[in-house]
Amino acid sequence: MTEQTRFLTTEAGRRQRIRIRHRQALLEQIIIYVLLIFTAVLMIVPLLWAVAASFTPNEKVFEYAYPFSWRAFLPVEFTLEAYRNLFARGFSRALLNTFILGVTVVVVGGLINAMAGFAFARFEFWGKRFLFIFTILVTFLIPVDLTAIPRYILVRELGWLNTWQGLIVPGLASSLVIFLFRQFFEEIPQDLIDAARVDGASWTRLFFIIILPLSTPVLITAALLLFLSQWDSFFWPLLVAPRPELRVVQVEISNATAEYQTLWNQLLAGSMLAAIVPILLLLPFQRYYVRAITGSGLKE
Amino acid sequence: MVARERLVPYLFLLPALSLLIMFNLFPAIATLNESLHANSLSSNRRIFVELENFQRIFNDPVFWKSVRVTLLFSLLVNPIQVSLALALAILANQKVRGIAFFRSIYLLPVAVSINVTTIVWGLMLDSNAGLINGVLRLLAVPAQPFLTAPTHALWSIIILATWKGVPLWALFFLAGLQGIPDSVIEAAKIDGANRWQLFSRVTFPLLRGVLVFVLVADTVANFLLFAPVLLLTQGGPQLSTNLIMYETYRRGFVYGDLGGAAAMLWVMLLIVFIVIGFEFLLLRNR
Repeated sequence: MTEQTRFLTTEAGRRQRIRIRHRQALLEQIIIYVLLIFTAVLMIVPLLWAVAASFTPNEKVFEYAYPFSWRAFLPVEFTLEAYRNLFARGFSRALLNTFILGVTVVVVGGLINAMAGFAFARFEFWGKRFLFIFTILVTFLIPVDLTAIPRYILVRELGWLNTWQGLIVPGLASSLVIFLFRQFFEEIPQDLIDAARVDGASWTRLFFIIILPLSTPVLITAALLLFLSQWDSFFWPLLVAPRPELRVVQVEISNATAEYQTLWNQLLAGSMLAAIVPILLLLPFQRYYVRAITGSGLKE
Repeated sequence: MVARERLVPYLFLLPALSLLIMFNLFPAIATLNESLHANSLSSNRRIFVELENFQRIFNDPVFWKSVRVTLLFSLLVNPIQVSLALALAILANQKVRGIAFFRSIYLLPVAVSINVTTIVWGLMLDSNAGLINGVLRLLAVPAQPFLTAPTHALWSIIILATWKGVPLWALFFLAGLQGIPDSVIEAAKIDGANRWQLFSRVTFPLLRGVLVFVLVADTVANFLLFAPVLLLTQGGPQLSTNLIMYETYRRGFVYGDLGGAAAMLWVMLLIVFIVIGFEFLLLRNR
């Protein structure tokens, strides 16, 4: 018997083969974990440093970064100085503004987009295809930043520069959100609608009393997308609402890079306050978010 | 009653669609109109100037430099982001214990806005005393002028955009990977496919649709990148990071030349289409 046939046929050879396979599997697991941890470190290090630095006295922020020391990731001289100064500067105003903006767009925008999605999903009417292609598809495909200049001029003609209307109204309707609502409403059984109609419910009543309460998943998704789009919006508020009283979070932290250049811990504290809200919203609701954004892109 | 009934869908559509038409569709059409008019931030008078706006930007060397920088940036950042996103998705798709925890961590850069990314990375990449230079010093590498040298600045922007972009696009690849039925993979394994064959002959071809979408969407997103340039480099040093989107903003809203800026956006749209056309050509089914 040659070495190779013994390896393949005998009981001892069989055990040896299993051992090798186990060792390979173990090695594979180790490699996977090393890569997982390595990438996780890459993602988390900037945020960890920023959080630690925001709780560090300003003059120490760079001391621990260069030359590098582990203290860069642990605020050993813990202080709330940066956050206190930030709020003394009026940062809470920007936070409040952004919340007002986000909540208004979620409530009003959510409602009107849901209505439009419902019309496209459950009605047959003259011009349906045309309206869908020329409003929803076309506006979905053209990035809003590319058309910012005429929109800016339009808002200026309306006299809406530096007003709440200028900030809110252009962001209310969203083709992506209409699209998501349409997909969801298409799945609702026709029987349900027929039954309510036979009972004499008007369309408005049907929509508000029967359809919307059934739509929690898509409502969560829409609220998440609309709120995050406002929380992260920067270019538009920068153009139309430069007035300090109307500043939103992203504009405020960007202005900070110029206005308090060397107050690094405040810069980072503001950034972390801007970051924590979407993180707290996304982590528990990641399922809804991921399905919405990937689903919209991948359905052909 | 019947006539009223017919009106119902239109009433449901009215609020959202009129806003979309007014604030999204109309401006898209008006961009072209704008590029043919002289207009300024200070006055409301508009003069039809035919192609003068285009002539003005075409005669501007800063604009051409900006086009070159944008194309170079696009050529570098998109392949880097798309391939890393695919790799990250494959990693996040491994069925090992604790994978949900890692996926949550990978979601952090997606949640953080580009402005926050820019501020944090901007301070980490500080040429004098940034964290990155601190780490490089441990490795005996001299401090790098990440944001202050024309050779480095564009790469710094690529790095921070990649940190934020890769996890986002990986979500799409991950969704694609999870859409591949297990039976297909099992069948290939039974046929004796090794790991590389499994990827190149089975997984990758099945991901082609996702790949095309991600590449195109990423290309568009990177053409629109604006905040890092505004906050960190203002287009410099020596215009080495003067991406078109930023040049448009500067021309329109700093110098008040909205007509020129609108013309520039049209040129940019054209470039986006050409680049996307190339990408389709590259990835077409053979």
